[in-house]
Amino acid sequence: MASAQQNISVSGVVTDASDGSPLVGVTVLVKGATGGTVTDVKGKYTLNVAQGATIVFSYIGMEKREIPVKNRVINVKLQSDSRVLGEVVAVGYGTAKRVDLTTAQSSVTTKEMEKTVNTTLEQALQGRAAGVYITQNSGQPGGGISVAVRGVSSINGSTEPLYVIDGVQIPGSQVSYGSTSSSNPLSGLNPSDISDVQILQGPSATALYGSRATNGVVLITTKRGKSGDAQIAYNFSYSLQEPPKRMDVMNLPQYAQMVNEYHSIAGGTTPQEFLDPSILGNGTDWQKELFRTSAMSKHQLSLSGGSEKSTYYLSGEYLTQDGVALGSGFNRFGIRANLDTKPRKWLKMGLNTSFNQTVEKLSSSSEDVINNALQLTPQIPVKNIDGTYGGGDLSKPEDKFAPVNPIAIANLVTNNNTRRQFMGGTHVDIDILPGLTFVTSLNANLNTQNSIYFRPTYSIGWAINNTATMSDFNGVNTYYNLNELLHYVKSFGKHNIDLMGSHEASEWTYKNNGANINTFITNNIIDVAAGDQTTADLNGSGHGSGAMESYLGRVNYNYGEKYLISASVRSDGSYAFGSDKRWGTFPAISGAWRLSKESWYNISFMNELKLRVETGTTGNQGNGGGIYSSMSPAPSQWGTGFLPSQYSNPLLQWESTKTNNVGLNASFFNNRIQIEADYYHKVTDNLLMSAALPAYMGTQGNGGLGAPTVNLGSLQNNGWAFTLISTNINTKDFKWESNFNISGFKTKILTFNSGVKSIDRTSWWMGNWTQRSTVGQAPWLFLGYKTDGIFKSVDEINNSAVPVDNNGKRLPTDVNNVWVGDVKYKDISGPNGVADGIIDVHDLTTIGNPWPLFFGGFTNTFTYKGFDLSILLTYSYGNDIYNYMKMVDSNPQQINIGRNLLTSAENYARLVTDANGNVSISNSGTNLPRITYSNNGNWTRFTNRWVEDGSYIKLKNISLGYNLPASFISKQSFIKSVRLVASAQNIFTLTHYTGYDPEIGSYVGNNASSANQAIGIDNGRYPLTPIYTFNITVNF
Amino acid sequence: MKNFKYNWIAIFISMLILTGCSQDFLTRAPEDAITDGNFYKTDAQVMAATSLLYNRVWFDYNDKASYEIGDFRGGIAYNPWGQQGYVRFNLTGYDPDMIAGWNSFFTVIGQSNMAIQNVNKYAGAAVTETIKKEAIAEARFMRACAYRDLVMLWGEVPIIENNQKLLNDTTISKNTISSIWKFLTYEMRSIANDLPEKAYEKGRINKWSAEGMLARFYLTRAGVESVGGVRNQQFLDSAKYYSNRVITMSGKSLLTDYASLFKYPYDNNNESLFELQWVYSTIWGVSNSTPAYLAYSSDIANGDGWGGSIGATWWILQKYEGINAYGVTGDSLKGRTLDQRLKATFMLPGAYYSEISQSVKTTSGKDSIQRLIYPNNTADNTTVAIKKYICGKAADMGGEASSQHYPNNTYMLRLAEMYLIYAEAELGNKTQTTDGTAMSYFNAVHTRAGLGAVTDPLTFDMIFNERTVEFAMESMCMYDLSNLYYYNPTKALSILNSQDRGLFAAHPDVFPNPTQWIFVKTAWYTPANGDYRTITATTGNFYLPIPTTELAGAPNLQKPAVDYYSK
Repeated sequence: MASAQQNISVSGVVTDASDGSPLVGVTVLVKGATGGTVTDVKGKYTLNVAQGATIVFSYIGMEKREIPVKNRVINVKLQSDSRVLGEVVAVGYGTAKRVDLTTAQSSVTTKEMEKTVNTTLEQALQGRAAGVYITQNSGQPGGGISVAVRGVSSINGSTEPLYVIDGVQIPGSQVSYGSTSSSNPLSGLNPSDISDVQILQGPSATALYGSRATNGVVLITTKRGKSGDAQIAYNFSYSLQEPPKRMDVMNLPQYAQMVNEYHSIAGGTTPQEFLDPSILGNGTDWQKELFRTSAMSKHQLSLSGGSEKSTYYLSGEYLTQDGVALGSGFNRFGIRANLDTKPRKWLKMGLNTSFNQTVEKLSSSSEDVINNALQLTPQIPVKNIDGTYGGGDLSKPEDKFAPVNPIAIANLVTNNNTRRQFMGGTHVDIDILPGLTFVTSLNANLNTQNSIYFRPTYSIGWAINNTATMSDFNGVNTYYNLNELLHYVKSFGKHNIDLMGSHEASEWTYKNNGANINTFITNNIIDVAAGDQTTADLNGSGHGSGAMESYLGRVNYNYGEKYLISASVRSDGSYAFGSDKRWGTFPAISGAWRLSKESWYNISFMNELKLRVETGTTGNQGNGGGIYSSMSPAPSQWGTGFLPSQYSNPLLQWESTKTNNVGLNASFFNNRIQIEADYYHKVTDNLLMSAALPAYMGTQGNGGLGAPTVNLGSLQNNGWAFTLISTNINTKDFKWESNFNISGFKTKILTFNSGVKSIDRTSWWMGNWTQRSTVGQAPWLFLGYKTDGIFKSVDEINNSAVPVDNNGKRLPTDVNNVWVGDVKYKDISGPNGVADGIIDVHDLTTIGNPWPLFFGGFTNTFTYKGFDLSILLTYSYGNDIYNYMKMVDSNPQQINIGRNLLTSAENYARLVTDANGNVSISNSGTNLPRITYSNNGNWTRFTNRWVEDGSYIKLKNISLGYNLPASFISKQSFIKSVRLVASAQNIFTLTHYTGYDPEIGSYVGNNASSANQAIGIDNGRYPLTPIYTFNITVNF
Repeated sequence: MKNFKYNWIAIFISMLILTGCSQDFLTRAPEDAITDGNFYKTDAQVMAATSLLYNRVWFDYNDKASYEIGDFRGGIAYNPWGQQGYVRFNLTGYDPDMIAGWNSFFTVIGQSNMAIQNVNKYAGAAVTETIKKEAIAEARFMRACAYRDLVMLWGEVPIIENNQKLLNDTTISKNTISSIWKFLTYEMRSIANDLPEKAYEKGRINKWSAEGMLARFYLTRAGVESVGGVRNQQFLDSAKYYSNRVITMSGKSLLTDYASLFKYPYDNNNESLFELQWVYSTIWGVSNSTPAYLAYSSDIANGDGWGGSIGATWWILQKYEGINAYGVTGDSLKGRTLDQRLKATFMLPGAYYSEISQSVKTTSGKDSIQRLIYPNNTADNTTVAIKKYICGKAADMGGEASSQHYPNNTYMLRLAEMYLIYAEAELGNKTQTTDGTAMSYFNAVHTRAGLGAVTDPLTFDMIFNERTVEFAMESMCMYDLSNLYYYNPTKALSILNSQDRGLFAAHPDVFPNPTQWIFVKTAWYTPANGDYRTITATTGNFYLPIPTTELAGAPNLQKPAVDYYSK
């Protein structure tokens, strides 16, 4: 009996096998028994054990050792765990050992991603990787996301990275124009199929992708089978998504009171029913009607395994998600099969295929229902007594401009976007000689899109649609990429050489057909065939193609894994440029020095230290077409007429970005703490963009000439990224690990070629809200006036700068012009650069910056026996948000057009006149202007009054997992393991921002286009809301 | 075996090289559109390159700016609840509709310049010289018309004859008003020589369109070149000369019935000299969208009809013969008029229009269609809605209409104006005239409207009023004021400042079938309530402000204007 055996005291020192340094905090346990200890600062331990027992030594980053007790002194040397330092990661056109990397590259593993509830891939990356700034453009299910790797590398073009999914290259696209603009082109990927994401950031890594790599490269590897027993896993998750916090808009008595006050000051008739607000009920709470708690569920089944020679991974997924706002939803199903086989010693073949379908409901975004819910007045019922939808009354002048009932519209309008995607590839690897491999691969991507937009006939108050209209858009796009690659690896002595050379050709095509039709016999059959055929017409038809050819090569050399050097070059030929400018060359070189490998290196607590330096050039070819001007057709009185569509620019050339990067990797206490730090300096020249021409060049109107695509100017990005990964506590039962990352960038525009000082981007659909890019500053700062509060007295007006009339003369000081209670603007400048005592265009200045100073994420994972708890915080600091929603909904003049207001609008400046005729403000603390039609521009000028600090810390996710104990599972043989997870997402945000949510990405809506997508403005966007999820995974 | 493997290498490396793509692989012109260099190869293609200069490029101006600037700002019509920048004469550089107008005029100019240069550059051997000449003249004509509107609305603006030269040039200055008018008359004379008497296709401009426009330009230039308020006689004579030529030689004639000028289909009738040629299409930008905003209700429209609060001003109503002050308080008008232009321009309560369908509810609550009777409303403020250019529902227009898409054309120049130009040019700097031709030309327009002939000597005010009533809601009034402003700014401003633009109610004596109306100013609509009836027009706000974003993006527009011909 074991109990009869005598306990003895065993002691010893645990050291690092590589250098003999003592290891602190090594876990020392008795196998199969309770109790244990950890080593002290000198690496010593003492433990009472039964004779004949086995002691287990484990330490993060080291291989575990089990030693049977034979002596009373057991000194142990632990070897580095090659699985940590020897970890092999994907790099461009190959793989590399992580320790051998000479470039900045961050990775996110499936284990981390699975902690959060992710409908789409980019959501999974948020907060996980340094240097990657991710903002969600819309909380709409499946909605689009903005990803910026290492700052802003383009003024008007896309700043999205290149995604390489198992070899299929997909340039990230920002938005499409029109009713499907809020959708996300990468939403078809099932995040559960992804095994690993590598974000290439350093120029040495990205230059290998040459012309498409300026914005960074995201390498995505999907899961593959491992030889051995088949693994069968079924996963089900169910989530409840909560409505957002309620914006404080007026209820019916408050609104009626405001209408009374408004009319008593500004004139106009108050409707009879509003005259006595005290007798009114609360009216309709439109937010309550619009938002709901909604469900999301996901089923995932995967099967993987294989023999020595062949492996497989098969999976299927079905996800369905309702949005918290009516008129939104997302569902996806997808299947994947990844196969690998090695039929001969010298031959390997692989195949990966996936198919998915997504269906997005987009009407909540395209119909702007959230804004309308905030603005529709409370006296209008959702439904009238007779069951019809309520709406503004035609007989009331102000009601004629009231928004249309958002509940009705969300229910009535169909805006469904269906995408089907086939993505796959095959490759053949042939070993020609030892170390020399030839790989040929063909990767392809086929996408189809169908979007249906149907507006039925309806009668909602004044809004009467007598003619049902429909548009049916179909698009197909294809992509293929054929690559041949030779790869040679050779080691002799301490010299390690890795050579790669490749040729690649890719071609893509698109074809679109759209049809519009109207006048339907019934609202129930949504098909072009059901409309009045005489009204049918084509819309949005077109097709085109693009192509690229590339030669690329890379040399990696290292000496004893101590001195590492990598050089690469890529030459890209692109269809986007004329034959003289067609080819661009993108070289890069990088080196690293692993000081810790030097014989003289003796910093015992820092077991790994690597310094890196790299420089390289990447490019951007834009979207093509800039060298031609096509003739754009339209109907005229005499058949089809044609107008040139744009100014062509045959001299267009490559945009190029030169990046210098220094970095270091260090590991402490045997990898218990790992840090990675990088600093970079990027200069982008020959920026490809649409020239900012004044409207007098005929570029702004309907039928106008598109501005030419030009190489206009340069900009620079300086930035840094820091990652700290640590194991804070590691005992037998309890483990605490952290992953902290922080990064920042500063973008500065250096020049615009034509001497232009600034370029504006105006959102005409938001009152001409404008963002400006000025030389010497960051791109797209908010443009507006600075305010000095509200005029408190006539004297103050007479002693201040005030706006001018059309003739440049000061507006008079009176009620109809500038008066007490009006906004006081700061006199910033004049025509000669000095303040001139009047407010005019010279006083427009930048009033906000949409870019953060720093941002990142912080993950803590606690493991205790079968439980694990993970907490992810994401944060952003220093970015501004223009709260457009709040500005609009605080403007009392909205009453004229039948709009509701925020309750804070009650605090408008109230004027009182004393016995001496002096006017002052009774609620003197207010910063909302008086009610007036005056010429001061209180509500038409954008000011810093509505710019808010967008900094936040968000408890992005907290999840608690539990693995059912083996002792419990082993009672049967059918199920191998069960894991349960409960998690909550977006539950708490620490911020000063007063809108729904400070996470504001780029504007998405009907009017967004990739050349004009406002950043950092909150127009009542679809917010991210809390999600509570239960998840079960069963392995069979 | 080793040899075998080396062969493999040879094969693969050669594959790498051989798979290099051909040059064609990377040469990809747009596949779904013809490019400019391949166009302009036949007569038909050249003319197809100017046909959109008649619609699409004008769209953004025609859409809303045309009536907001021409008629709201001019005082003909108003909207008490919106578009206040125009109604109250206090536009800022941010107004989106005004910006749309600015953008549109320069789009007309840019695309006209592009047509001129591309025809010169790309026209193939198969294109006949006369077609080249006609197409280029059409483009120059459009450009001149856009500049006429720009200079009259904004004052000094830059003349651009070649946009491509300016792609990298940010130094261009505005040009002086006087040199712009010199440019315009030079241009139009040359265009008149180049255009044929019979256009390539019906509805396109011809020689008479250009001569008519030239008459208009000379009349204006006479004011631009005035000295001490005295108009330049030489240019007055030229206006008279060209207007008379068009009246007597063009073969054009006034339609007998004024109302039928605006009853669908009226396009390209014999009174028309130049029209924007809208077509019915669901494509945005080639149809007439204006009726959508002016039609008073969806009852007479096609899912649109958003003009419920847009109507005639007090000022224009009292200009119709027979509608006179009533009572002594100055706040009422009463009467009826024989002037058929009132009913054809505005809808009075009870007015009946057989050509327009109206959705109504029957007494039993059923939806039904009747011939339009403009409804009566007993409130203390009502709208005298817009009729001109409103042609009703799709059913009234051969099915050719949908929301914001209407096929009916917009007059840019019609013969009636030639008669009034002649009379005004003949009057010239005199206080009155009894010239026989002038009298008969004036009366041709006056009596066509159903009124008796005028026998008193003609004065400026008579001609100005005739133009106001004749062209109300044709975006003319503000331009007429601009004309006057060139040589008599005081008078132009005093006309504006004396207009009543406030709320009132129109009451029929009986409904339906009224015989006369009483108009009463709305009592509560007073300055004491923050309301107003009159505006303050000054030399400071007479011209429109250049859009703020344009000034910010092109600071060169803030430089002093230069003479176009002094460089």
